[in-house]
Amino acid sequence: MSDAPIPARFYPAGGAAHGHPARLAWQDGTLLVLPEDSPPQRVDIAALQVEARGFNHSQWALQWNDADGNQLLMVDDAHIAPLRDAAPALFAGGHQIRQRTHRRFGAGILFLIALPLLLLAGFFLSIDPLAERVVAHIPSGIERQIGAAVLARTRAEGRMIDSGPAWEAVQIVGKRLARPAESLEFHLVDKPDINAFAAPGGIVVVYAGLIDKSASAEELAGVLAHEIAHVELRHSLKQLVKSAGLRVIVAALLGDYGGLGGWAAQLGELKFSRDAEREADLRGLARLHEAHIDPSGMPRFFETLAKSEAGRMPALFSTHPATTERLDALQKAIAAGNRGPVEPIDVNWSAVRKGLSTSASETAPGRR
Amino acid sequence: MAMDVVDYEIFGNEMQYVEVELDPGEAAIGEAGVMMYMQDGIQMDTIFGDGSQQQGGFFGKLMGAGKRLITGESLFTTVYHNEGSGKRRVAFAAPYPGKIVPVDLSTIGGTLICQKDSFLAAAKGVSLGIAFQKKIGVGLFGGEGFIMQKLDGDGLAFIHAGGTLMEKTLAPGETLRVDTGCVVAFQPSVDFDIQYAGKIKTALFGGEGLFFATLTGPGKIWLQSLPLSRMADRIVMASRAAGGGGKEGGSVLGGIGLGSLLGRDE
Repeated sequence: MSDAPIPARFYPAGGAAHGHPARLAWQDGTLLVLPEDSPPQRVDIAALQVEARGFNHSQWALQWNDADGNQLLMVDDAHIAPLRDAAPALFAGGHQIRQRTHRRFGAGILFLIALPLLLLAGFFLSIDPLAERVVAHIPSGIERQIGAAVLARTRAEGRMIDSGPAWEAVQIVGKRLARPAESLEFHLVDKPDINAFAAPGGIVVVYAGLIDKSASAEELAGVLAHEIAHVELRHSLKQLVKSAGLRVIVAALLGDYGGLGGWAAQLGELKFSRDAEREADLRGLARLHEAHIDPSGMPRFFETLAKSEAGRMPALFSTHPATTERLDALQKAIAAGNRGPVEPIDVNWSAVRKGLSTSASETAPGRR
Repeated sequence: MAMDVVDYEIFGNEMQYVEVELDPGEAAIGEAGVMMYMQDGIQMDTIFGDGSQQQGGFFGKLMGAGKRLITGESLFTTVYHNEGSGKRRVAFAAPYPGKIVPVDLSTIGGTLICQKDSFLAAAKGVSLGIAFQKKIGVGLFGGEGFIMQKLDGDGLAFIHAGGTLMEKTLAPGETLRVDTGCVVAFQPSVDFDIQYAGKIKTALFGGEGLFFATLTGPGKIWLQSLPLSRMADRIVMASRAAGGGGKEGGSVLGGIGLGSLLGRDE
């Protein structure tokens, strides 16, 4: 046990504060202390008190009392192994304290790293009610202004169709769907995309491609009812509030990692819209019943859509629930719902589609 | 040990620099960006990591550099070799007002824990490491953060801190309460902890914050009288751009302005 002497610092009772360098060795149950500038001492193991001390408990304090008073040895943990092997019981208490400090440090660091993530997760979970509350406080005037801005951008991006049979058909179907107190605007964009969207302030925008794909006015009515439901539920406004809120929170918690904020906001939008689309489907369906329009046009259009989007992204990543999924839900709702009297929509649909293709080519050079 | 023995001389009063004399073949390491001048014959070599000899291979070097990245030091250390035939000198300047203190690591047991950023220069062979403050409370409120620097070896190291540096030897069990942020360096045998200031009134209006740092002996400690952050705060407070009472124009009203009536710090 006494092969390599252990370096230590010896603080004799009543000695100088800076202590003296010493060497330690373990011999037959006693600790042999060899200070550099004083005679050697032997300390009985029974008299020794050991505790972990110093920065991060990285040092061991070996103390004993003799005729001169309290004697102290400080040994670095790096050199303590031979002594600990010789008398493990002496070091058990200090070792426990060291372990506890290390564990707490690890847990603390984990906590500090996890805290912002936890806050973020909490925010994610509570964002729906939060956004709803905020939206409830937004006056309709501001909503209208946002809608006007969205419409202006749409106008800047593509030509609008402001007359002709297609435009008229959209107005007629829209009017039938609107309730008396509602002020809704319907716009038609001359673009081949199969798309339609609702903007804050009662604005519904339909793309020409959608009309081209619809086989009847009832199908268009299904899409419009869905979009009007978005307006009614103030979905686009909620989405705006949510993505703005998410961006701010992410930036506040994680610093200015622009990409990360955008990513989180998109994730929020994704989840948001999947739920919102289902809600709008059902609300739209109720509206179709209310307007005495044959609701089967809605699922029929989704069928067309499902055919055209075969081989697209899986449901998880798309903003709309997969059309087949929606289709099933809708058909179930139609089967379960009450069937009131149905009145056909007074629009010559084949003329509308024909007019669309001719009006688009005719008006192309002159407009906007 | 492969330590180089260096002679040195410290110049200046409050804005100091240290001139290190290197025998032929000797070398010193310096924090990147602190070299002030060097004589002919001294070769500057920038190495990845911290210049200690213990770490072998690329991975060891990467670890050393990673440690420096965490402490906020630059990834590269500069080594100054004397390739000439006679004694040559190189000088390292402190980056802000304060004192440079030489610490002979061999006399204090080979290890010194110090505030990050306080390392200035050392004999080649001194290893620069990091020491995590593992007491969460001390890391949060002790004023030194969770990451401190550890100097290992038995050569000479120069540390630097703001204001006047006080060196004190604490006897076993002797405790000193220190304002947080004033601790510069201590031996590992010193217990670094925090203590609640005790009274709400003192904590709020005493100007010392909620906690004191406590240092318990045995061991040597070094304290700074003016942490850089404190000086920086005062400079910002006094600057005109920050809405402080900067008035170098010396107008008639300047001396008796509202600011001086209210006893604003300047």
